[in-house]
Amino acid sequence: MRTPLISLCRMLAGIAVAVPAALLSGAPPAAAHPMPHSVVLLDVHETAVAAHLELPVDELRRASGIDLRTIAATDIPADALRTYLTAHIRPTTTNGQPWTVTIGDLSLSQNQQTATGPYQELLAQAVLTPPAGADVRNFTFGYDVIIHQVVTHIALVSVRQDWAAGRIGEGGDSAEQVGTIRIDTRTMTVPPLRVDLGTGSAWRGFLAMVRLGGTHILTGTDHLLFLLILLLPAPLLAIRGRWREPAGARTALTRIGRTTLAFTAGHSIALALSSFGRLDIPSWPVEAFIAASILVGAVHAIRPLFPGREAAVAGLFGLGHGLAFSFVLAEMQLSTGRLALSLLGFNLGIELVQILLVALALPPLLVIARLRAGPRLRVAGALLTGTAATGWLADRLGLPNPIARIADSAGEHTTPMVAGLAVTATLAIAWTLVNRRTRPTLEILSKEGCQRPATSKSITITVPGH
Amino acid sequence: MNKEAGQHARPSRRRWRGAAVAAAAVLLVGGGYATANAATAKGASTKPAAARPQVRGTGVAAVVNAANAFLATLSDDQKAQVLLDFSQANATNWSNLPEGIVTRVGIQLGTLDDEQLAAAKAVVKAATGTGKGTGFDQVTQILKADDILAAAEAGSTSSATADPSVTATADPTDSATAEPTDTATADPSASASDAPTGTPPSGGPGGGGGLNYGSGIYFLSFLGTPSLTGTWQLHFGGHHLALNITFKDGKVTGSTPFFIGVEPTSFTTDGTTYQPLSAQRDGMLKLLGSLTTAQQATAKLTESFGDVLLGPGQDGQFPTTKEGIAVSQLSPAQKKLVLAAMRPWVSMVDNATTRMLLTTYEKQLNQTFVAFSGGTGLDTQGDYVRIDGPGVWIEFICQNGIVFQSQIHFHTVYRDHTRDYGGEFTF
Repeated sequence: MRTPLISLCRMLAGIAVAVPAALLSGAPPAAAHPMPHSVVLLDVHETAVAAHLELPVDELRRASGIDLRTIAATDIPADALRTYLTAHIRPTTTNGQPWTVTIGDLSLSQNQQTATGPYQELLAQAVLTPPAGADVRNFTFGYDVIIHQVVTHIALVSVRQDWAAGRIGEGGDSAEQVGTIRIDTRTMTVPPLRVDLGTGSAWRGFLAMVRLGGTHILTGTDHLLFLLILLLPAPLLAIRGRWREPAGARTALTRIGRTTLAFTAGHSIALALSSFGRLDIPSWPVEAFIAASILVGAVHAIRPLFPGREAAVAGLFGLGHGLAFSFVLAEMQLSTGRLALSLLGFNLGIELVQILLVALALPPLLVIARLRAGPRLRVAGALLTGTAATGWLADRLGLPNPIARIADSAGEHTTPMVAGLAVTATLAIAWTLVNRRTRPTLEILSKEGCQRPATSKSITITVPGH
Repeated sequence: MNKEAGQHARPSRRRWRGAAVAAAAVLLVGGGYATANAATAKGASTKPAAARPQVRGTGVAAVVNAANAFLATLSDDQKAQVLLDFSQANATNWSNLPEGIVTRVGIQLGTLDDEQLAAAKAVVKAATGTGKGTGFDQVTQILKADDILAAAEAGSTSSATADPSVTATADPTDSATAEPTDTATADPSASASDAPTGTPPSGGPGGGGGLNYGSGIYFLSFLGTPSLTGTWQLHFGGHHLALNITFKDGKVTGSTPFFIGVEPTSFTTDGTTYQPLSAQRDGMLKLLGSLTTAQQATAKLTESFGDVLLGPGQDGQFPTTKEGIAVSQLSPAQKKLVLAAMRPWVSMVDNATTRMLLTTYEKQLNQTFVAFSGGTGLDTQGDYVRIDGPGVWIEFICQNGIVFQSQIHFHTVYRDHTRDYGGEFTF
């Protein structure tokens, strides 16, 4: 009855309307106190809890006698601090069995809380490990760092990452406060904080990773831009070193499908390899490679460099993009079992959003190829993308520049971006529908599957409005 | 068609139209004139009243009268903001923090017109003491200090050249008055309406970071209906100030919790140097200074303080064990100093109530304790002193400056073990 392309586009337009709405989310208000307070951020892993402590240096001095106010970062008295901290961080099981506490990295930093003015703080990493068989999600947090002496001091305890509860501490997830540790002024003692994170599940962790994958590709402008710029000339035929006339709709669809699939395969393989291999790859060469890949794609959109081999190129460059994705997972320091599930979920999220966005881009891509202004639009898009890629490349190679900054910030505006894409898709569909009505030839052509491509000339003349 | 009809009827219509225009003009001009006249007449009559509002009666009667007079100046919407339930949630909704971190109940002074503002201040004046440097005088100075903070914040964000030491003088003796004081002396009500009420992003160079200061950002409310028969509470405060005076059957049943703090501790406005908490600090200094070395050793607390212990939200959380030196161990002269040290806080209410409370606290002196932490100079961050009796609870602490970071600033709280909020709530 209708061309499959149009009904597909109609369905996608519906999805496109729903997506921006789903992407809107608000930020929770920050807690505040006029004197700087301590912050304890917990990352709940499978067998241990990592605690990230932020301790105001002045209060720490008054409590521990260790004065870090004028000390160089290299001269931090690590042993004294570790002894002090382990004496005042005493998690136990709910039965009172002590956990093991190990203090790791110590560093100094500058901070400012609401109404405090800037102040120096000590950052300390601790690992809290329950005795064998004890529940890592349910414990009594004995903690009185600083508070044992500075009795007006407060420690805010929050969970930053809890994979099994679907809190992955990434993609706009804010830490959830689980309690405040302060002195009970009636007894002048510091009661321990009961931490009960409920039961976690692998399913919640998996779903959170799907969400993270989706957000990651949506906000990572560079990955999308690479794919879209490769797809830009897909509906065109390259003849004698130039992009010429539109290829048939079927050819175009096949090419777009193959390129997307190859990109997916490339980044999935690289993501899996680097994550399971726990490869510690420096990020800048990877980021530079990605920028270069976009630049190559932009040039190819202007003049065909590798016509017909877009899929192979997408697969190859996809490997680089996969390495970049793996940085996100590496930061989370997951156990192997959780990593496997995370990888699956994360990749699934990436693919879902990618399919959606490619589907949204599809109608405009096909229509642009048939517009008289098509070549100009294509070159303009390629130039814009090329500029962004050049900016990124320079930035990743150590030359920060405004172009890279602007291009990066585009990723923060996902809602207008998706909305814009959806509007373009809708316009493209409308254009196709109008053409179908005014010129039955087009319908015949598309029904024929465009064995012989229509010339762009014959179509554009009939719709002067576009 | 319309035009034709108009031409036919022109002679008679024109006359009528002319008459109508003339009538409208007379009405408009005359009405405007009358309104303007009324406005100026009203302005002329209320201006002196604004400066010195008439309050009938004395003691609680005067407070109730002033409260009703204030309510009479308000619209229904405004009244709804002022008249709130005497609930625990409303009563304990006070803070020392600047607005922007916390949200207060009540009507904001900055939203009132001149007449309403004068009437609002008359209520606070009737309820608080008449002493110089205490009571209403002290309240006024705390509001002035907040205008200094607002000016310093504005200066530091707009030009980044504001030198805190110019307007805020740590040492009152060399309070050279420089130009920036002019900006700080802006009419409180004017700066109030200018003061932003939103929450700008934090991280400005001023150090306070997106906080709202100024004498317009203080809030007044009545919890319950002001009367000489029922129970109600006067609730007034903002940054560094929280007044909670509870009335029952025409008597004051509680003048606490009372939080008062100040930054900068000393400043000059219009050529006058203010040290709003000097009465509080001086009393405590004299008391601490009178302690012998042995007494100091007993009075000194092992723990350190960064703020008062029983600030906002800590209602009823008095330590069960009193710490420090028992006043019973002090000499008669020292006991007088303990009582004198309490006086500036206790004087934040009408004179009769102040006398009653001081008599009670005097009787309880032998069960009262004095403690301190840090130094006895009350001039360094962490210097802290406390008076804790069966009734009285007073804390005084020196903290690092927030806006004027090179100086300290003061936080103090006065509570009563049994009379906070008139003893109407249990915690």
